[in-house]
Amino acid sequence: MERTVDWLVVIPLAPLLAAIANFLFGKWWIRDRAHWLAVPAVGFSFLASVAAAWTVLGHHQLLRQPLYTWISAGEFQVPVELVIDELTAIMLLVVTGVSFLVHVYSIGYMHHDPGYYRFFAWLPLFVFSMVMLVLASNFLVLFVFWEAVGLCSYLLIGFWFRRRSAAEAAKKAFVVNRIGDFGFALGIMLLFTKVGTLEYQAVFEAIPRLSSGTVTTIALLLFTGAIGKSAQLPLFVWLPDAMEGPTPVSALIHAATMVTAGIFMVARAHPIFLASPLALWIVAVIGALTSFVAATIATTQFDIKRVVAYSTVSQLGYMALALGVGAWIPAIFHLFTHAFFKALLFLGSGAVMHAMHDELDMRRMGGLKRWMPLTYWTLVIGAAANAGIAPLAGFWSKDEILVSAWVGGAPLLALLGLAAAFFTALYMFRAVFLTFHGQPRFDPHQLHPHDPPATMAVPLVVLAIGAATTGFLGVPPEAGWIHHALEPVFESAAHHEVTLSLTLGLAIASTLVAFAGLWIAYAAYVRGTLSPAAVAARLGPFYRLAANGWYFDFIYQRYVVRPLDAAATWLWRSVDVGIIDGAVNGSARIVASTAQLWRRLQTGLVANYALMIALGTVVLVGAYLVFGSTLFR
Amino acid sequence: MSLQVLIFSLLAGVSILGALGVVIARNPVHSAIGLVLSFLNVAAIYLIARAEFLAVVQVIVYAGAVIVLVVFVTMLVHPDDLPEFHGRRPLRVATGLLLGGALLLEVAAAILTRNLSGVPGPWTDQTISLIGGNTRALGQTLYSDYMLAIQLTALLLLAATIGAIVLARPEAVSERVMAARRTLTISLAHPRGLDQPELPPALPLPPDGQVKPAGGGRSIVLARSASEFTEQPAWGEWRTP
Amino acid sequence: MSELSATHFLLLSAALFIIGMVGVLTRRNVLVIFMCIELMLNAVNVSLIGFAWELHQLTGQVFALFVIAIAAAEAVVGLGIVMALTRRADTVDIDELRQLRE
Repeated sequence: MERTVDWLVVIPLAPLLAAIANFLFGKWWIRDRAHWLAVPAVGFSFLASVAAAWTVLGHHQLLRQPLYTWISAGEFQVPVELVIDELTAIMLLVVTGVSFLVHVYSIGYMHHDPGYYRFFAWLPLFVFSMVMLVLASNFLVLFVFWEAVGLCSYLLIGFWFRRRSAAEAAKKAFVVNRIGDFGFALGIMLLFTKVGTLEYQAVFEAIPRLSSGTVTTIALLLFTGAIGKSAQLPLFVWLPDAMEGPTPVSALIHAATMVTAGIFMVARAHPIFLASPLALWIVAVIGALTSFVAATIATTQFDIKRVVAYSTVSQLGYMALALGVGAWIPAIFHLFTHAFFKALLFLGSGAVMHAMHDELDMRRMGGLKRWMPLTYWTLVIGAAANAGIAPLAGFWSKDEILVSAWVGGAPLLALLGLAAAFFTALYMFRAVFLTFHGQPRFDPHQLHPHDPPATMAVPLVVLAIGAATTGFLGVPPEAGWIHHALEPVFESAAHHEVTLSLTLGLAIASTLVAFAGLWIAYAAYVRGTLSPAAVAARLGPFYRLAANGWYFDFIYQRYVVRPLDAAATWLWRSVDVGIIDGAVNGSARIVASTAQLWRRLQTGLVANYALMIALGTVVLVGAYLVFGSTLFR
Repeated sequence: MSLQVLIFSLLAGVSILGALGVVIARNPVHSAIGLVLSFLNVAAIYLIARAEFLAVVQVIVYAGAVIVLVVFVTMLVHPDDLPEFHGRRPLRVATGLLLGGALLLEVAAAILTRNLSGVPGPWTDQTISLIGGNTRALGQTLYSDYMLAIQLTALLLLAATIGAIVLARPEAVSERVMAARRTLTISLAHPRGLDQPELPPALPLPPDGQVKPAGGGRSIVLARSASEFTEQPAWGEWRTP
Repeated sequence: MSELSATHFLLLSAALFIIGMVGVLTRRNVLVIFMCIELMLNAVNVSLIGFAWELHQLTGQVFALFVIAIAAAEAVVGLGIVMALTRRADTVDIDELRQLRE
């Protein structure tokens, strides 16, 4: 069932207009009032999304609005069309909903920033890009907004571009994403050469006709894009550095936009992945490894935002694992719940930073529970949801992923996920305990930590409610509301019969693991019966491995960045300066020296010029006589 | 040979003689007289060709206004210090004569072998006298067929007038000092101006108040006052070697 | 050659023109060069008038009139330039005026 409507366009248009207005007039006119435009625009977009989702999810109707034809070259047609199916509806709710809360939060958080208007120009632009990305009806439009999202992330991570580290982080995010996007673009081109169209529906119908090798190549290339955008194993290094941006940006990137784009794209292209078991297997392995590696790294970090950032990488790993074992609905379900508790965690740590005057190191916090009860309780809810403590949101979605992995033929990966769950609980509560419990490790007389103002507090509360309750949308497992809602999209996906005992068994196992992590964190950081330093010393190389982010950055720096840098320097010095500039300058020099020669003709004597004119006349008249007249014929 | 040809040849001969006088005479005033002679004879030839209006215009504009202007300017510039008094350039004269001879041969060949014959127009003597004379006929043609050209010519004359005014306008003192200082150093309060009365003493400060140091191969000019310096067109005489 | 024809006018025109040209080429005095240019313009008029007479046309006379107008304009501007030159460089010797090289 499908319906053509004409009001879908307001969903992307509202944030876009706000962004343009703030960008054009922000500096000299709108200034501190920038949020008057941006916040209502995104809120309006959210309301429209709710209306659209109501129709789509309630009546299982496809909404579509053709906008215009972007490219029309012979057989090749690229229409820009907004299409909302069940998957898009869920994504829209997440994107616009969380973005709206982040916008509201930003009013308080970015207050007094000199770039206030600029912030409220890029932020709605980010929302616009992401909304268009989910609304796209073909791969090319998807790719365009995929890149637009990358651009916005660059602008926002480097928002405080005067800070060198922020500029570097923005550059890093952009370049690392570019590597993934390169693969993504190649995948789309291959798809086009093989299928001849980029419309989702037509492509998916054509997939069975392709050879398995081709499909695997396409799937893997597309997944390369997702690896970059969704920060999977080899390319996750940009995400922790993205912390250099303002905290609301981190929340937006991690929860609602950007990183979920990769997961969404794989879910959107699931017919391609389903046709290639090898590609699916690779997705699953990368996902599981990512979740485990990132979780171990997060355990060793002291920067509160970095802990949460690595936690995002880890959770994205879970989603990729789910995608890889064909559990599409759990993956989207986890994306949905994760958006709430991750946004909550970021905004909460932003509130802590705000209270601590931009202090990020948890070793200089402690005891904040006393002064910031609201932040504390909301953060505890977020942490518990992230750690998978029943019955909060993370528990249901994560558990379902583990069950799917187990029955999907990858019990080893499920165990890896379980191990990651242990670390998740450990680092989450380590962060909570270090920050809020114990004695203050700062001077309370100098700093006066306090709960944030209303614009920041309300989003925290709303998100905490979401983090606590959204899990129930997926209850009971495999038959919850969200499963029924998403079923039409993934009807081609395989179904597994899951026994109750397995579900219960894994649920109990993951709960036990989570409580184990919680207990260790409690023992180490509240009761002090376990010395973290001693444990770190005992673990030795393993600790150092995790603390250094498994040396990914180090390896990239030494074996990728530096050789490239050297090669580029060589090219610059020898090829560019020597050959290219040399050729240009050389020809200029030849011209100049020849001109010096001819310059002598220019005596400056009028008499000589007159002589030349007369000579020319004589020659011309002579030529006429010889060739033009009858004199010599 | 008809009488008409005879008269034409006489007039043409005197005209060519006058032209030769222009080129040969050393004194530009003599040249101007030769030019007048040539112009007047050409005007007479116009009468033979039944171009009475043009003949009159030739006399008034060319032989009258232009020549007066030329003689006037000749008198304004130094008539006693003309370059030809210091000798000609033989090589240039030879080249000029060679080119002139070559062109004359070519053109004469072209004229004498010509077989151009245009279509005769309607303006025979009868039609012209019917309309009331050459001037009236010319006027009607000018102000009907050549209206735009006449207007543009008027504009051209206006532009020429403005241009001549701008060119001939006396330069402001500061402009002339500036122009001089592009190539010279004007020495102000030069000690030599004080103790050597035959050398003019220093100028007052120029309007921009900047005094450039002498040297760098630039000539130094000394003057008693600004007006003396600027009123003296031949300040080249004061250049020190 | 027995009857008067445009050929006579053309020969006179050629003679005057070439005399003027030789003057432009050989003389050093800007004023004389200027007079020679007037001579050349006048020579052109002669041929125009000759054709007009032979072909019973008025167009030649009209053109000659325009040439005279332009010659007058040229005389005004040219003599103005000569004035300015003598004021600046104090010479009418064309060989001393080498600013065109700059």
